[in-house]
Amino acid sequence: MRTLIKLEENPEVLIVSNVTSFLNPTFVYVPTLDYAIKEDTKFFKDTYLKDNIISISGYLEGIDEKLYNNKLTKVYKIHNDYKEHNLKRLRKVKIKDLLELQKLLEDNFLSNLSNKLKGSFKDLVVTCFDEEIYEMNEFMILYNNYKEILKMLDLLRSLLNLEVAYIAIKNTNAKSIKKVRSIIGTYPNLKLVLLPDKYLMSMDENVSSYLNLKVDDTLVLKTTEIDMMESLIEGKFLDHKYITVSGDALKKSLIIDTKLGVSLKEIEEEFLKIKPCEYNIYYNGYLQGEKVNSEDLIITKDTSSIVFKRKEDVEEECINCGACNKICPQNINVLKCFKDNLRSKRCLNCGLCNYICPANINLKERIKDD
Amino acid sequence: MKKSNVKNLVKLNIILLIPFLIYGLYKNGYLIYMKGLISGYMVFKPLYLTLISLIIKVVVDLFIYKKVKIDYNLVYLILVSLIMPYNINLIVYSITLLITYLLTLFLSKHFKFNNVCFMYLILILVNYLFNGLSFLNPMEAKYTFSFSSLDILMGRSVGGISSTSIILSLLVFSYYTFNFYYKKDIPLFINLTYLILTFIYFLITKDNNFIINSEVIFGSIFISTLPMFSPGKRILQILYAILIGLLTFILIFITGKIISIYLATFAVSLLINVKIRQKSPK
Repeated sequence: MRTLIKLEENPEVLIVSNVTSFLNPTFVYVPTLDYAIKEDTKFFKDTYLKDNIISISGYLEGIDEKLYNNKLTKVYKIHNDYKEHNLKRLRKVKIKDLLELQKLLEDNFLSNLSNKLKGSFKDLVVTCFDEEIYEMNEFMILYNNYKEILKMLDLLRSLLNLEVAYIAIKNTNAKSIKKVRSIIGTYPNLKLVLLPDKYLMSMDENVSSYLNLKVDDTLVLKTTEIDMMESLIEGKFLDHKYITVSGDALKKSLIIDTKLGVSLKEIEEEFLKIKPCEYNIYYNGYLQGEKVNSEDLIITKDTSSIVFKRKEDVEEECINCGACNKICPQNINVLKCFKDNLRSKRCLNCGLCNYICPANINLKERIKDD
Repeated sequence: MKKSNVKNLVKLNIILLIPFLIYGLYKNGYLIYMKGLISGYMVFKPLYLTLISLIIKVVVDLFIYKKVKIDYNLVYLILVSLIMPYNINLIVYSITLLITYLLTLFLSKHFKFNNVCFMYLILILVNYLFNGLSFLNPMEAKYTFSFSSLDILMGRSVGGISSTSIILSLLVFSYYTFNFYYKKDIPLFINLTYLILTFIYFLITKDNNFIINSEVIFGSIFISTLPMFSPGKRILQILYAILIGLLTFILIFITGKIISIYLATFAVSLLINVKIRQKSPK
């Protein structure tokens, strides 16, 4: 197992531990189709355009260019008519075997998750914690839906024909531990395990080795994934999700339950109070995410967090301290890669080199091999 | 784990050097003054040297960058002021330090070597031409002392103006071992190599004069570990340290036990940086 470390978080960033709902946005955006469609075309809620769900009902107002999954993409701008018209409703399904569950996931464009379930496993672990600092989605999903999560986990365990499934929570997360403990007795085949609060703990191999399980035989899932399966079985569309909007440039950091396709600008106008300072925006995490140049970005199913980080330190000249080499969990010679303009395929994109660098050099971007 | 930045690392380095300056003021100021060997204003000679270093830094920064920067050059200049011999003339020190500092600023664009050692060696050479090579303060020059091991640990041995306290050096090192950015393997392996070699030498010749060397301890903790001039990878740091320890031991027979660590550090830093540059042409 790698030597893991606990990262110090900025005490200024306090995330409010309740969910703010944003389920009636004025506009949502979805990537355009290959053929033209008329303006004022009616869109129905919970229909798919390619693999992107339209989370509201409304009409087409025009075509725009926005950051969609961190790429500048042409998108339809759909104006909400607040009528929630939808063409089909999902029904609660009774899953009898794993194949049915896989099909349900594939029908809802979750083939990655479906593929994860393929193969034979001896152990199943659900990690209920967020890897990134300044992110609390997994925590909040477990905290609010702990009964459903445990029920779904037990169902999945029986579908995989396993004797025991583990629910892993970080040992510092007292609130969730209390909630899970209050109910886990009703599931004799589920075991609660507490893991140390360290960065990269939720990686498959770290979880497995900490629990003395074989990596290849262990299926490690996240709370979000269990929650998605549960929602689909219960007949709910995955048209909204939790995202954490945090950072020391914000007066208040929030967990927002937002419709997919919403623009960050609209969220900003509605909920965020930004301190009068210069800041950078990080998409999907301060450590593992990427810096974006514009607030004109869209919340998609792959968005987990937006971090507004105060611009304090400018990039300086490398002082050759070697901290990046010391901290790299993959033992990459980061300093050499940086100086010789080399890229490493072993890079995990964990962002620890960026975090530790006293000269604030964006090492991750320069060494990771795309 | 807490993240730091260059400014904070520089500040920490300077804060940890302040006790050495205070000890220098005690040993090479107060004690000599109490014996009536120096006049009142010379009590603060260690402080004057540090102030001259600071003034040079401020003036050069204002001249070149139009603002004062808190960077590693500040640490380099303060370190030089702490390891100077007592007999250095303040005017000679000011002029030579200014010239060598400007020279290192220019040369560092083309070569990489330990700036502190470079400035120190030039200053020692110039001082040798003006005052001769001696690290004795007036009291040490006048009286003959028989130091106990405790005296040497406390810092009463002959050496730099503010760098002789082994106890302080060890305290700082033990504090530094908890600092993620500090290359703690370097002082560890320099001292280990040096101690093994001097102990073997002692077993052969029964001469224990070199075993406890305050300059090796101070130099290895503060100067050999300067990030800019030492390797970034752990295995290279260990090799670098062993090489310095070995060279220091050899050089004590040529240059004496005070200068040897600085000369060794300068030579090895020059060697590894030339090697690295040859390996990775840009």
